[in-house]
Amino acid sequence: MLSYLLRRALLMVPTLFGITLVVFVVMASAPGGLTAQSLVEGNNLEPEARKALEDYYNRLYGLDQPASVQYLRWLNNISPVGFERRADGSLGDFSLTKGPDLGLSFRYGRPVTDLLAERLPITLLLNLLSIPLIYAVSIAIGVQAARERGGRFDVASNVALLGLWSVPTMLAGVLSIGFFASEQYWRWFPTGGLVRREAVDQTFLPWLASGADVLWMLGAVAVVTSLLVWGVAVAARRPRRVGGAVLGAVLGYAMAAELSGPVPGVSHGMLALAGAALLGALAGIPGKALRIALAGALGLVLGVIVARASGAEVVQAGYLFDRAWHLVLPVIALSYGGLAFLAKLTRASLLENLAADYARTARAKGLDEETVLWRHVFRNSLLPLITVSATLLPSLLAGSVIIESLFSIDGMGKLAIEAVQTRDRELVLSVTLISGLLTLAGYLLADIAYAIADPRVSYE
Amino acid sequence: MSERAAVPARPSRPWSAEVAGALLRRTSARLGLAWIGLLALVAAFAPFIANSHPLYMVLDGEARFPAFAHLDAADVSWLAGLVLAFVAWRSRGPAFLRFAGWFAATALVAVLAWATVSPPPLVIYEQYREWEAAGRAERVVRAPIPYSAKDYLRDHGDTGMEPPLAGRDGRTHWFGTEDNGADVASRMIHAARIALGIGFIATGIALVIGTIIGGLMGYFSGVVDMIGMRLVEIFEAIPTLFLLLTFVAFFGRSVYMMMVIIGITSWSGYARYVRAEFLRLREQDFVQAAVASGLPLTSILFRHMLPNGVAPLLVAASFGVASAILAETTLSFLGLGVVDDPSWGQLLNQAVQSSTFNWWLAVFPGGAIFLTVFAYNLVGEALRDAVDPHTQRAGRAG
Repeated sequence: MLSYLLRRALLMVPTLFGITLVVFVVMASAPGGLTAQSLVEGNNLEPEARKALEDYYNRLYGLDQPASVQYLRWLNNISPVGFERRADGSLGDFSLTKGPDLGLSFRYGRPVTDLLAERLPITLLLNLLSIPLIYAVSIAIGVQAARERGGRFDVASNVALLGLWSVPTMLAGVLSIGFFASEQYWRWFPTGGLVRREAVDQTFLPWLASGADVLWMLGAVAVVTSLLVWGVAVAARRPRRVGGAVLGAVLGYAMAAELSGPVPGVSHGMLALAGAALLGALAGIPGKALRIALAGALGLVLGVIVARASGAEVVQAGYLFDRAWHLVLPVIALSYGGLAFLAKLTRASLLENLAADYARTARAKGLDEETVLWRHVFRNSLLPLITVSATLLPSLLAGSVIIESLFSIDGMGKLAIEAVQTRDRELVLSVTLISGLLTLAGYLLADIAYAIADPRVSYE
Repeated sequence: MSERAAVPARPSRPWSAEVAGALLRRTSARLGLAWIGLLALVAAFAPFIANSHPLYMVLDGEARFPAFAHLDAADVSWLAGLVLAFVAWRSRGPAFLRFAGWFAATALVAVLAWATVSPPPLVIYEQYREWEAAGRAERVVRAPIPYSAKDYLRDHGDTGMEPPLAGRDGRTHWFGTEDNGADVASRMIHAARIALGIGFIATGIALVIGTIIGGLMGYFSGVVDMIGMRLVEIFEAIPTLFLLLTFVAFFGRSVYMMMVIIGITSWSGYARYVRAEFLRLREQDFVQAAVASGLPLTSILFRHMLPNGVAPLLVAASFGVASAILAETTLSFLGLGVVDDPSWGQLLNQAVQSSTFNWWLAVFPGGAIFLTVFAYNLVGEALRDAVDPHTQRAGRAG
């Protein structure tokens, strides 16, 4: 295993070279490519000052040299061993301990390493929140759909998932900002950013006015949640659906009332109908676990709303809540596409395994369907999901480019757009390098996870 | 020869006809194809559906056809492409030949059109409204949407964004107007061309590159395969969107540039598929026979092997068109798309501006993007089932 890992890590090096080479060639071969002139172009300067600035950039980055030399110099800078660079830009002695140096960003005038250290954690936070969410929800939906192949849930979820997969990320982002964050409609969420300025100075956890308020809040959440969970867990299908529809209608009416007052109008009727249809359908889902999870999430939110409406006084929302509140819309917009794709994959993989010979053998020896599914089929069905996890990370990174610029989150995706728009050579190359590294690491992790999940696979 | 007679008589339908039949039996595929067909019609007839130039008018007692006089080379090529597609569809012969014939004829017409068609260089949209107001123009027949995509309604002053059916100055904008005052419905209709064109041509370029590289990898294997796979890995490990952004930022923006760029950044998947198919095929007898009879390499690769390995490629291409359209709208949305020309992504970009939400710019263009991508995904899904031998067998047994 260790030798395999080592070999893979070494194979990553030429690929990383290739990635940066491709991006460098694109930048260098562009008309008006990378010259000191293009860097100082925008500034309104005296000819002498312009000349001095150009000379300075040329000396610092070697921009007056041929592209191949520039690339080699850049490689030398980022590699941990190589020639030292003197202050005037010329190369010094060969050194084994000079350490990698990603250079200075043209635009920010700051070391690229600092910029990346600031931005990368934010993008990783978004992605690391999305990945578990995607896997949990898609496995739940996929298992349920595969269990009753051709049933109502299977057909409905199949169409819904394909539709969800086709919704462009920016449309989802724009609609969610427009309806749930802008001033014209419901202002439930912030329009952008990751944290409010005030929240930075606040306590970490929410701070309520008194102990009684805390108890009241917890009590309300517990009562509402357990009522909902009990309802969907125990009730038969028909009362469940009716209950869900009634609750949905009430919530829809409340949404319309928040927007245009309590006097009934067209929007009240439409939203109440939509709410009733949605919650009625969700309450009719045949899988108990899926229903309970949905009811639990709804109960938590409703409980907090009920408690606040009935007088629990919140002094400070707190840093944690504020951060989570800012992350809701971006994480949803980032994860729904991968979720739809993975849920379809889970279903297909489970169906294939349920029809396999070993599953038939297991049934023939008298095991019930649950045991066959969870003990025999499920683990085997995970293999394609693990394979896909490798491609999930790059697509999430690409998605965060859109999400971050839409929600004005200062992550690496937004940095990437700024970098290419301002032709910031060092930054573009470094962002390419980092995202390529993350992608390749994702491939490697997927291969390792594959070996763990499937004992037949070994890399000896 | 007697062995051939022993094979049970079977209606000999070409494989392509069988797949097409299996595809059209599915409702989802029919819906998807219907939407794409509708889009193609709208794109081809765009100048007659949404145009500020009247179709017919009598100016100072003289009959005129301004909309026809202002047709440019792109309009003519689109119309010719549609007519030729109809001809190719009705004609007989192998599907591939008909497609190739359609493509060659359309390309020829496009080149001719670019060389010969020359609409008036100066376009003044306001003059018709002025003539009509002054009583000089009579019997004016206008297009259903009497606004061009680039008609910013300057004669109505600084109009800017208006919600649908705001009804100012007696104007009717079904989908409202955008930032510069142009009619959103008209811009969406003309933008259908970019969406369709980019989808087809970018995927075509990616298919050609992917097929050549993947075919060489699969046929030769060994060192060629090793180098090729590294190349595939490189292009897979760079996030496509980022590579696109870099290309566009450094090379400038035009529709044709974007087609090429999206094409050369998305071939790696096709190369993988073709490689896998060719690795499987090259061991088979008919390929060995072709090699043994001394056929040239291009003939072995593309005449003998490719038609047998085309199935997974078709499915991937269908999904590929969807992602090419998404790539274009994403670029336009991020403000790196085509300048001035209409595009769905660029309209969507204006939906959220400085904390005001213009819902008509999100719902209509966004809905068009969604429906188009959904249609291609539906077709791709149905195509995958149609070419999959497992579902075919299950379908026959059941």
